[in-house]
Amino acid sequence: MTAAPFFSLRRTVMTFAVVWLLSVSLLHGWMNLHLFTGSQGGRAQYRFRIGFLPVTCHLTCPVTDFINRQQTGTSIFDPVRFNAWPELKEAYLSGYTPATFILAPMAIALREQGVKIKIVYLGHRDGSALMVRKDSSIHTIDDLRGKTIAIPGRYANQRLLLYRELKARGMTLSDVNLVEMPPPDMPTALYAKAVDAVSSGEPFMGQTELDGYGRCLYQAKDVWPGFISCVLAVNEDMIKKHRPQVQELVDGIAKSGKWLDTGMDHRMEAAQFVSTLYYNQNPRLLAYVLSKPPDRVKYTDLKPNRANFEEIEMLGKEVGMLKGTAHFDDYVDTSFAPDDDKVVAQDFEYKTQ
Amino acid sequence: MNAPLESTVVKTTAESTRPVPARPGIDWLRALLPCGVAALFLLIWDLSVRFSGSDLFPKPIEVARAIVELIQHGLLVKYVVASLFRVSWGFALATLIGIPFGLVLGWYTRAAQAFNPLIQIFRPISPIAWIPVAILWFGVSDAAPIFLIFLASVFPITVSAMAAVRNMQPVYVRAAKNFGLSEWELFSQVIFRACLPQIITSLRIALGIAWLVVVAAEMIAVNSGLGYLIIDARNAGKRYDLVVAGMLMIGLIGLGLDMLVRKLENFDEVRWGYANRS
Repeated sequence: MTAAPFFSLRRTVMTFAVVWLLSVSLLHGWMNLHLFTGSQGGRAQYRFRIGFLPVTCHLTCPVTDFINRQQTGTSIFDPVRFNAWPELKEAYLSGYTPATFILAPMAIALREQGVKIKIVYLGHRDGSALMVRKDSSIHTIDDLRGKTIAIPGRYANQRLLLYRELKARGMTLSDVNLVEMPPPDMPTALYAKAVDAVSSGEPFMGQTELDGYGRCLYQAKDVWPGFISCVLAVNEDMIKKHRPQVQELVDGIAKSGKWLDTGMDHRMEAAQFVSTLYYNQNPRLLAYVLSKPPDRVKYTDLKPNRANFEEIEMLGKEVGMLKGTAHFDDYVDTSFAPDDDKVVAQDFEYKTQ
Repeated sequence: MNAPLESTVVKTTAESTRPVPARPGIDWLRALLPCGVAALFLLIWDLSVRFSGSDLFPKPIEVARAIVELIQHGLLVKYVVASLFRVSWGFALATLIGIPFGLVLGWYTRAAQAFNPLIQIFRPISPIAWIPVAILWFGVSDAAPIFLIFLASVFPITVSAMAAVRNMQPVYVRAAKNFGLSEWELFSQVIFRACLPQIITSLRIALGIAWLVVVAAEMIAVNSGLGYLIIDARNAGKRYDLVVAGMLMIGLIGLGLDMLVRKLENFDEVRWGYANRS
């Protein structure tokens, strides 16, 4: 090896480090941050981020964004996709996402803890299930006794849904073994027999059916009609400072929901563009859960309703999820939500890309 | 120590009828051995999947197809760049802060007494535990994963630099003092140079750790990177071929980065420190 004076090592390292950092930063800025692709348009307008997960409960978020961008070339919000509930919640708490789709009990619990959060609209109705393996010996709710069941988290409404079913048969949550698991991991866990049953929002329940090893024990729509899992919540400061934008957001979500529920062809189109552009899932999976059966998940009748939330509050208190210190008027602002019969479907014609 | 093996290979090649030893630059066995082990590993992997009958875990060929798919969609280069960007900045900051800080702690006993307990408390905390803090402080921008990678690599560098100063031969310092060097000159001309071999070794280890935590760091909702690829593939149903493709790419780039840092050991300023080990 050639003998080199000390300065040559220093110079080599310094030069290499500077060139490396510069080139990797420029490449990252160009390829991933799109810093050099011209102006984004509409900069004077207030833009905000919305957190969502790749689940059907949050489908109206990407659908609204897609339609906005198709119709006007821009959107008033940037959807930020998360992969798990804790990160989504933390991004909301940090102020990074002033609006977010979130589990209803989690939003109520955050309100109880003093977080400035208001539910302004629902994300969906129904669209949850409890799945077991096809070859499982579990055929009724009573068979769940002593079994291991995966739920998305302690603040998941699927926990309340299960509790409601167990309670109706004289059991409690302590009669089963609950484990918390991110929904994307649930199909594999069920397949590998790591758990006896899984319960979360779609499309992960439908995936076990589509892949041929899952059997539905109950659908939310059958046991708790009008079931609410996720809601659209915004920061109270945003309501104070940017009321027109919150209204525009809620109107957009409402119209997209109506659009999804007016014709199966709209749902199939949404399955295509949401799967490929937002969820990175096989379009066949979303198409399956949005159509088999068509009322598996619904996107109409999304104005927050006092009776629904009081039932969630009561059940949440019974299982120890909620303290019962926050009530409907504390955590819900219904002033933005249009009445369902006044919502008009988005006027949108999907053209294949 | 490879000499006997080397000559065996030379004899078996067709063009090596002359009794001349192989050129020192080409060591065929050294290149063939790891390739052979890798091929054997792929074979065992393939057979295990076939015999287990699993339709979830991918075979090597499926992983290769997934990598091709990523290249065709233009995602592989983008994700590699994103991960390298975060690791490079996290590691660069750790180096810039860790080395001087470690040298100071190694030289000034009182400073070490003051800071060492705190360092030892922070050192074993996994970057995963820092994820909530990183999101609360930095949101979901690139700063959050860079912060996690910085945290993972700064402590090994600091501790190694500190230990290097402690283990330094006192004769260097005595000689330097006889020449009347100032405190700054003592640090930059003597202590830093004397510790360089150990520092380079610690950089190698720290870079490995920085690259290791890229998956955890990209669990935050960034939308690019090899760690993101792995986490995102879990959303996509049965795309475990993409999961393994991400793992493989992380491994291969890790190997490349390590080879790059090892090049530093060839400089004379560093090589003297390894002389008695070879």
